[in-house]
Amino acid sequence: MKRLSILLILFLTLLSCKKDDPIYDINQIQSQSYNANKNKLKSPAQYISILYANLFQKALSANELVEITRCIESVGDKELVHEVIISNFMNKEGVIIPSDSLMRSDLNLFIEETYKRFYVRDISEAEREYFLNFFLLHPEVSSEMVYTAFALSNEYQFY
Amino acid sequence: MKRRKFIKNTVLGATAISMPVVLPGGRLFAATGSAMAEHLVFVAFAGGVRQQESVLQRYLLDSQEYPSEGNIMYNLLNGGYPTDKIVYGTDGTVSGDTPIPKILNQTLESQGTIFKEMISSHAGHYGGLNTLLTGNYQYTQGLNSKSQMPTIFEYVRRHMGVPASKVWYIGNGIGNSIPLLDYSIHPDYGSQYGANFLAPTITFGSDGFKHLKNAKIYHPEEELDPMYKMKYFLDNVWYSQGKSLPNIGNTEEEKIEIKQFFKDMFEKTEQGVIAHPPVSGGELDSIGYACEVMKRFKPKLSVVYLSSVDTCHSNFTAYLQNLHRADHGVGHLWNYIQNQVPEMSGNTAIILAPEQGRNLEPNNIVDANGFYSYDHSDENTRRVFGMMAGPGIQTNLSLGSEGNSKGDLLNIAPTIAEILGFKEDMINSGLTATNQSLFDLI
Repeated sequence: MKRLSILLILFLTLLSCKKDDPIYDINQIQSQSYNANKNKLKSPAQYISILYANLFQKALSANELVEITRCIESVGDKELVHEVIISNFMNKEGVIIPSDSLMRSDLNLFIEETYKRFYVRDISEAEREYFLNFFLLHPEVSSEMVYTAFALSNEYQFY
Repeated sequence: MKRRKFIKNTVLGATAISMPVVLPGGRLFAATGSAMAEHLVFVAFAGGVRQQESVLQRYLLDSQEYPSEGNIMYNLLNGGYPTDKIVYGTDGTVSGDTPIPKILNQTLESQGTIFKEMISSHAGHYGGLNTLLTGNYQYTQGLNSKSQMPTIFEYVRRHMGVPASKVWYIGNGIGNSIPLLDYSIHPDYGSQYGANFLAPTITFGSDGFKHLKNAKIYHPEEELDPMYKMKYFLDNVWYSQGKSLPNIGNTEEEKIEIKQFFKDMFEKTEQGVIAHPPVSGGELDSIGYACEVMKRFKPKLSVVYLSSVDTCHSNFTAYLQNLHRADHGVGHLWNYIQNQVPEMSGNTAIILAPEQGRNLEPNNIVDANGFYSYDHSDENTRRVFGMMAGPGIQTNLSLGSEGNSKGDLLNIAPTIAEILGFKEDMINSGLTATNQSLFDLI
């Protein structure tokens, strides 16, 4: 009986109440800057192969990678030549971009996914605010134009 | 002031401006502040040229011990052409037997000043070109590295306030790190003062036709404007992280103009109406596109880099042919500027200099004609020539001779600065190895 009582006390002790973790009702936020870890400039070959995979959802052939890299190196203004190459891509068959109607049907989702697709990160609230306002003020803006702006942007040049 | 006195003073003043005076040093105008020419074209000539086959006009005598001498660069240099064992021309009955007809009525040598024996202290193409463009011998400068000293492009743009589309650097390709010299990594200068580099045989060659030709030309207001607004927002967010992307600073308008130029060049290439020299192909196509750049942009400064004579490492016959073709290309370029670009005609200066010489002694490689080949590593590699012509430059002046050198490739950058009128700014930067231009050596 005595042994049973000891076991019972031990059992009850183990199951006794624990102190709850404090809950402060505050959402967790990212304390670091969103893009702080991207500090290496992509080489022309890296930039173009990543961009191609992004737009066509498949890998660029080795031959084409060499050819396009040579084209980039043949022009001094990299922004300019990137723009020309991107607009060539946009003229090609097989580029995978959401339609404008799909983009306009849920702008919030579209811009969130665009940030993830190009920058591999979440959108900040300030960025969301800017783009939602911009899309409202510029109804002529297409998904192709948004993708081109992201592909040309400086953050996309770094990893 | 009375009317008569006003007219007298005005006439005297105008006469003083318009009447050139030969000043000490061979200048026709004062050195600093006043530009001698509105535009300048610098041709980094050919890719390692031996004195023996160029200014010394010894053709096969020195190199192959065959008694045939003469001038195979008769657009640049005075002197009769060889008459025996002709292999430097285009293919006729046999390979190289047909010399290319002369383009210029008057050689550049007689139109300007030649330095027949200059010094190059670099024995490599990239190092030599670095010297020409920066006015410094950067002995620690390796390939795949941008120059540590400002290039002539950066001086021109910074000190003259010249927009990017008025400064062009046209290369014969993208090898040997050539594209890296469009701007330096110097903290006081850098990409924002860089040149528009173009390797046209690639941009408008098969690679460009495949990957650049079908570019959409977006509408400037309806498409480009909102696109750029979004990009600028994204870049502003990015700049808060303190990183920046090298940018040579073409404005939106300049970019539109350059993109339109690209589109036009693809069309003209397809139609076969590019301003190529009468004999084209190879690096002479770069000359043709350089002419198109002149016609479209009227650059303040253009640098054209030719490098085909580097075949001399293994094929002396091709070296002679390419030397002859390079002379033809320069003749065409100068002729085109004078006759097809009215905005540059009569107010453009030209400077030519190889980035290095070549060896005195041959290597072991013999070509199809049994000619020995030459590398660039011995003392003879230090021997080069230079020449300049255009407004304010003394004509028919020859300086230096074999065994009596005058001038150094270091003097080229200050000479460009002097001709364009900003030499003092360049000297005040304290970043060039010498303050002396070629004019100071006259």
